[in-house]
Amino acid sequence: MMVATDDFVEADNVEAIISRIEHKSRKIESLLKQSKLVEALKTALEGSPPNTRDERCKSANWIAVHRAIMAMKDLDALFSSLDPEYYNILMKYLYRGLSTGDRPTCDPVPADSRKTHGEGRLGVHTSFPSRHHKYSMMIIAIVI
Amino acid sequence: MANSLRLYLTCIRNTLEAAMCLQNFPCQEVERHNKPEVELKTSPELLLKPILICRNEAEKCLIETSINSLRISLKVKQADELENILTKKFLRFLSMRAEAFQVLRRKPVQGYDLSFLITNYHCEEMQKHKLIDFIVQFMEDIDKEISELKMSVNTRGRLVAAEFLKQFI
Repeated sequence: MMVATDDFVEADNVEAIISRIEHKSRKIESLLKQSKLVEALKTALEGSPPNTRDERCKSANWIAVHRAIMAMKDLDALFSSLDPEYYNILMKYLYRGLSTGDRPTCDPVPADSRKTHGEGRLGVHTSFPSRHHKYSMMIIAIVI
Repeated sequence: MANSLRLYLTCIRNTLEAAMCLQNFPCQEVERHNKPEVELKTSPELLLKPILICRNEAEKCLIETSINSLRISLKVKQADELENILTKKFLRFLSMRAEAFQVLRRKPVQGYDLSFLITNYHCEEMQKHKLIDFIVQFMEDIDKEISELKMSVNTRGRLVAAEFLKQFI
């Protein structure tokens, strides 16, 4: 009985999460049209559903983040303005992108490495987007 | 080296540098036993989420990490049937001599062509960055080896065919 109730609550939450993600996607599209790429990516990373097990929610959020990442051009501006708390979330989505095997997503581009120093800070390897390959390969190495 | 291969290998190198943080951890199930947890997978709290890095649909690398061991599985590009056969034979040749490599697994993981198993003992005996250099260099060289083998087979085939057909001239 308790399991059925939990499933019912989870289903309600899933619907709420999906509608929130859809609203977020519309906001991301409008930001992309205004060429506010960094804000679009920040919006995509904010409110990522952390504890849900529903694959639809995860996929829906992944599509939104993927759209924002593919639109990115200036990665220096991104990393200078992105809060460090988003690095872990961004890293997870990057590895998810790398695991797809989809060519436009996985094709790597010329890489330039940059590290931030300090205890417990993240080291970031960035790549500059090329004209042909939209998905920038950014690997975040945790520097301890 | 092609740009895309270089960046694929760089991606794998960086991931290995982050993932290869291994420590000694005795088995929780059996007393006085010490087993690579990535192989057993009995305790989920000791395992990290596997990372899959795809260069394209045909080439990929799976990195599975646990507290005391790391498993790297590679799927090598095989463009045609000949490359398929050559890769299979060549990698089987290497796998049968796994003791010489120390970090090579005798049998690859399902769905992959070759697997490495690195434990905390390997990290104690050998330098971490050297191990990573070895893995990356191996991945780079395997493509060259397969290409050379293919060229060698084609060359020999052409020579044999030319010699055989001379008698009909």
